[in-house]
Amino acid sequence: MELLDFARGPALAFGLVVFVVGSLWRLAGVLLLPRMRDLSPARDGAPPAPLAALRTVLRRMWPRKEFAQATLFPTINSYVFHLGLALVVFGLAPHILFIRSLTGLTWPGLPSNLVYGVGVITLASLFAALARRLGHPVLRLLSHSGDYVSWLLTTLPVVTGLLATSHLGARYETLLAIHILSISALLVWFPFGKLMHAVLFVFSRGATGMRFSHRGVNV
Amino acid sequence: MTETMQLGDMLRRRGISRRALLKYASYMASLMALPPSVAGAMAEGLAKARRQAVIWLSFQECTGCTESLTRSFSPSLEELIFDFISLDYHHTLQAASGEAAEAARRQSMRENQSKYLVVVDGSVPTADGGVYSMIAGRTNMDVLAETVEHAAAVIAVGTCASFGGLPEADPNPTGAVPITKLVTGKPVINIPGCPPLPQAMAGTLTHFLSFGTLPELDALHRPRAFFGETIHDRCYRRSFYERGLFAKSFDDDGARQGWCLYELGCKGPVTYNACASLKWNGAVSFPIQSGHGCIGCSEPRFWDRGGLYKPLSAGTADVRKLIGIAAVAGVALGAGAAALARQRRASTSATEQ
Amino acid sequence: MEELTGTAAAAARFDVGSGVAEALLRQVARLLEALARDPGFADVIDLRSLPMHDADRASLRERLGNGEIDASFDLVGKTRITETACAGVWWVRHANSDDCAVLEQIVVARVPALLLAHPADIEGAARRLATELGAPTHRETIHD
Repeated sequence: MELLDFARGPALAFGLVVFVVGSLWRLAGVLLLPRMRDLSPARDGAPPAPLAALRTVLRRMWPRKEFAQATLFPTINSYVFHLGLALVVFGLAPHILFIRSLTGLTWPGLPSNLVYGVGVITLASLFAALARRLGHPVLRLLSHSGDYVSWLLTTLPVVTGLLATSHLGARYETLLAIHILSISALLVWFPFGKLMHAVLFVFSRGATGMRFSHRGVNV
Repeated sequence: MTETMQLGDMLRRRGISRRALLKYASYMASLMALPPSVAGAMAEGLAKARRQAVIWLSFQECTGCTESLTRSFSPSLEELIFDFISLDYHHTLQAASGEAAEAARRQSMRENQSKYLVVVDGSVPTADGGVYSMIAGRTNMDVLAETVEHAAAVIAVGTCASFGGLPEADPNPTGAVPITKLVTGKPVINIPGCPPLPQAMAGTLTHFLSFGTLPELDALHRPRAFFGETIHDRCYRRSFYERGLFAKSFDDDGARQGWCLYELGCKGPVTYNACASLKWNGAVSFPIQSGHGCIGCSEPRFWDRGGLYKPLSAGTADVRKLIGIAAVAGVALGAGAAALARQRRASTSATEQ
Repeated sequence: MEELTGTAAAAARFDVGSGVAEALLRQVARLLEALARDPGFADVIDLRSLPMHDADRASLRERLGNGEIDASFDLVGKTRITETACAGVWWVRHANSDDCAVLEQIVVARVPALLLAHPADIEGAARRLATELGAPTHRETIHD
């Protein structure tokens, strides 16, 4: 029980603090950087910059026709585990309670058995992503330790969550403690690795969209 | 007092036949998850035993443990234990008081050396030399040390004696400690609960009486028979938990349909006790059945776990101020980093700004 | 027997059925066969330790039916021992003083141990009766 008290108490608090400090540090650091202003006039028919940014964010949700076939598996597989993670994180009642304790927001949950099934599919999808990364020669060449740490710290909460909810492997209070500790670990790592894409992708796609649509190119 | 007569004969004189003893043993065997075939041996063991001398020490306690065991308004099978033991010292139940009471305790210790059981309820204060609880002019620490020296075993009854309980909760002004911290060299059993189930107390005593040994204990010295499973394991609302049907507030629609009380702070999944199967007040009900989540009262430090109504999936630390400071710090660091970048750029390049 | 409250009734509705009652009956049948082969055989099934709703227990009781013997005695609550319609299968219900069942057992034996008079009780009774009648027994002791 002492491990659970530590996990729910100081460990979680530490994770949340580092998460907030780190994320805002990186976000503010990027957004406050000097920007290159394009002094040329906008091309005829170019949409206003915010709209252009939004369009690019949405357009890039799916690969271009030319690349779609070659990247079909990673695209679909990534959607599976991203949507799966979202359903699990925001659909399971205990998770909603956790978010409520931090923000006061609440919404109806999904049936727990359904979330369990989604969790299993998500886990399989995460392993498929790892297999691809290890099996594809170019990807393996490009991958570094940070990528594998990001994968591990995303997968651990899913595994430990499934184990805890099935009461498998140890006493429940231990399984729950390990699950909550894995979340703290994820929170600590999140701002400093590629997982930050969750926040930054909007800005990077948006910036590209603004720059190119100013010149009349839709990317 | 030492009794030379065997329990079987003594009980028969009071009109309790060996058949009745077998009923009692069957009930106890079932409670302690022993196979029904053991009942016969248990009854024989009890019949051949002599009345067990028990000295009950009460320290920083509320007397709830005694209340639970004695069940003042309706006799119970558990209370038969008082026929099987010689309760030589008990603040609430003994007739003597003052010096006579203390003399009775010392006499029992003398006459039953290394054979008497010590039952303790309440935690022991240790701050400032232990002055916060004194009996007959002596600190609890003193009385405990003196009494357990020649005892056969010590049974710490209630969460206060087992783990410190309410006195030990933040900020623990009296320096309260559980019995296990002070007693070494003697077997100690913890029977926690606030209060503990009467069956747990009576069952453990009966086990010792019939078999002469202490029952199987877990890592926290609790009898596995009563503390081997969690409330969650035996909760009749479990199917609602599995399906994600939770009551959102007390007495709402879900609550009235008997949905799971996880969101209202139920600590059932991490609390080891037998309330869900044995229930309280003669098997009438237990907290969850009455619509209130389990508060985890048989676990150490349950008072300081973030509040009775905080669900298990929520953190216990109050992070609001911390997050506020963290947010300001994060933005400041980011702004600082951006400022450095701008400075570097201005000093090294002469291109467009 | 506690009646099903609104919440327990709701929980019982979601049950998969009396699978437990069926399984128990099969076990009783096996034990009864053993008793048929060996009259000295005896075994007890503790019903309280099994996950059974009151509806399951009631249906099991109904299936077993009632026999010829109905005995009861009181010790801080009534204990009722009834023979079921199957000879050799007995239903034992211990209750506390509020008549809530604290223990229920199915005993498969020629006769449950609780119905037998205990040798120590018999000895005591023999001595008492002898004293009352003033007649010397073949084993007079000073403890009378």
